[in-house]
Amino acid sequence: MSPAKPILLAEDNPRDAELALAAMEEHHISDKVVVCHDGAEALDYLYCRGVFASRQRGNPAVVFLDLKMPKVDGLEVLRAMKSDASLRSIPVVILTSSREERDLRESYALGANAYVVKPVEFCRFVSAVKELSMFWGIINEPPPDPLPPKT
Amino acid sequence: MEPSKNEEPRVPPVETGGVDPGVAAPEPDSLGPTRVPWFRSLTIERRILFGFSLVFIGILFICVISYGNTRLLLDNSGRDTRSYELIQTLRDVDVATDEAEKHLRRYLVTGEPIYLGNYREVVKQKTTLVTYVKDLVRGSVDQEERAERLSQVMDRQFTAQAAAIAKLTEGGIRAVKKTALDGPAKREIAEIHRIVAAMDQHERETMHMRVMQSAAETEKTIALLAAGALLQLVLLTSVYYLIRHDITERRRVAAELKRHGALLEAANKELESFSYSVSHDLRAPLRHIDGYAALLRKAMADAMNEKAARYLDTISASAKQMGQLIDDLLVFSRMGRQEMFRTTVDLAQLVSAVRDDLRLDLHGRTISWTIGALPSVPGDPAMLRQVFMNLIANAVKFTSTRPAAEIAIGVDRRTPTEVVIFVRDNGVGFDMRYASKLFGVFQRLHRADQFEGTGIGLANVRRIVHRHGGRAWAEGAPDQGATFYVALPVEEKTR
Repeated sequence: MSPAKPILLAEDNPRDAELALAAMEEHHISDKVVVCHDGAEALDYLYCRGVFASRQRGNPAVVFLDLKMPKVDGLEVLRAMKSDASLRSIPVVILTSSREERDLRESYALGANAYVVKPVEFCRFVSAVKELSMFWGIINEPPPDPLPPKT
Repeated sequence: MEPSKNEEPRVPPVETGGVDPGVAAPEPDSLGPTRVPWFRSLTIERRILFGFSLVFIGILFICVISYGNTRLLLDNSGRDTRSYELIQTLRDVDVATDEAEKHLRRYLVTGEPIYLGNYREVVKQKTTLVTYVKDLVRGSVDQEERAERLSQVMDRQFTAQAAAIAKLTEGGIRAVKKTALDGPAKREIAEIHRIVAAMDQHERETMHMRVMQSAAETEKTIALLAAGALLQLVLLTSVYYLIRHDITERRRVAAELKRHGALLEAANKELESFSYSVSHDLRAPLRHIDGYAALLRKAMADAMNEKAARYLDTISASAKQMGQLIDDLLVFSRMGRQEMFRTTVDLAQLVSAVRDDLRLDLHGRTISWTIGALPSVPGDPAMLRQVFMNLIANAVKFTSTRPAAEIAIGVDRRTPTEVVIFVRDNGVGFDMRYASKLFGVFQRLHRADQFEGTGIGLANVRRIVHRHGGRAWAEGAPDQGATFYVALPVEEKTR
């Protein structure tokens, strides 16, 4: 039942990351999750550079993106992804604490595919993360990887 | 029903009170042209109006004086013309009198009819002249009298001369020889000369006096006009200073307002970034508390005793509650900053929609609803919806202990400026002593285990109603239900 492609979780808070992973544990989805601790690292992963230079090529099935992160924040990652032809089609789910209208507006304006507010209650948090990873990681058919440029 | 005791002040104490630039009265120590108390009590508009009225009255005064003087000068110049005419005519009379006497004497001496013809010609002319003189002296009693005497003396002269002519016809030249030598009307002619001289003298004197009068009058007028002009200058200067002072004052107030606006905007920005970080950062630890408590429960599943389980439950419940408080506070804060959407809201429709939304809470409850006719008011639909959602949900909540709950909604009264809506229930009510606490943030009049809620609902109600320019208050008694009133302006008056 494990997804074919990895899920990229960009989350600066290690506890949030741990809780999210705990939520995904049940269906062994967590095996396929790559955790990045800020926006810069997430972009490194997407562009296969820095510490991810040697990773297996291919886009993730989905990016779970926190908004408030050090260095490069979620909205900047989203903007970079949506303005790059090879990354534009990757589904992006904003996973954040904030319900501020400003964030909602900007995220959707930049092309986010979904916006989920992390519930305070753990059981609701677990079910939200589980459902999200089930849907985007397994049920949903991710876009095929872009064709390598013809030489 | 009159909400007399608990009526809250119309101006909320904490919210941004706008300063109306239109009523910015000048400071009492303004450099007005006068220190008269009643003048100080006037508004700047009235002061300026008063100043301009004085200027206008001054101009009117100057006009009247100028008109009077011009009129006098014109009249005098008309009289002068008549006087010159009179003097000329009198000279003619003088000459004609002598001429007539001369011709007659020649006739008397020679008997030549040609002289008689000449004489009659002059006599005819004289009559015309005297009539003209009488016409010219009309209005002056002295002169009229003299003209009359002149006329009479001339008549006598003619009579005397006619007698001489008759004598000549009767007794020939010899009979009139003496008369011809002396002159037939010597006395009368002398008299005529005297009268003419007197009239001439009188007229010249009158003319002279008139010239003096004109000059004096003109001098007086010039002085008055100069004084008037000076006064106008002073008045206009005062008005100018009044206006300038007012403009300076207004400019100062505008600058102050601008400064305050900038400060307010900065404060708002700060508040916004504050709630933004609250929204982002304050919730995360709570999620962790609840999350790790759950993980702990799972990890300890077998070894957990009842007490430990209860502790973990309490940790989770507290975290959740704090999460709820933060959410409520953010909503409350947003309610004060959010841009208002202005349109007309049909309250009847709104109330029925709210009841529809509450139908899950109404499940298993017996509530008898009495909904009166509700008006449409100007306002923000989403915000007003929240007001009625809170009030109706409260009514439902606090009647939950009643076997037969009754909730009534309707119009309490309507004035030309506002409409007062009430929401009444027969629930647990409250003590009027604590009425002022009802609308405070996180203020609750019931213990948490009695009725759930964070205590933000009514604070939101009041804030929204204030932003609509209205008022909100409540009446009630313990165990006898509560009535909440919302007064909303009928016309657009939002802040």
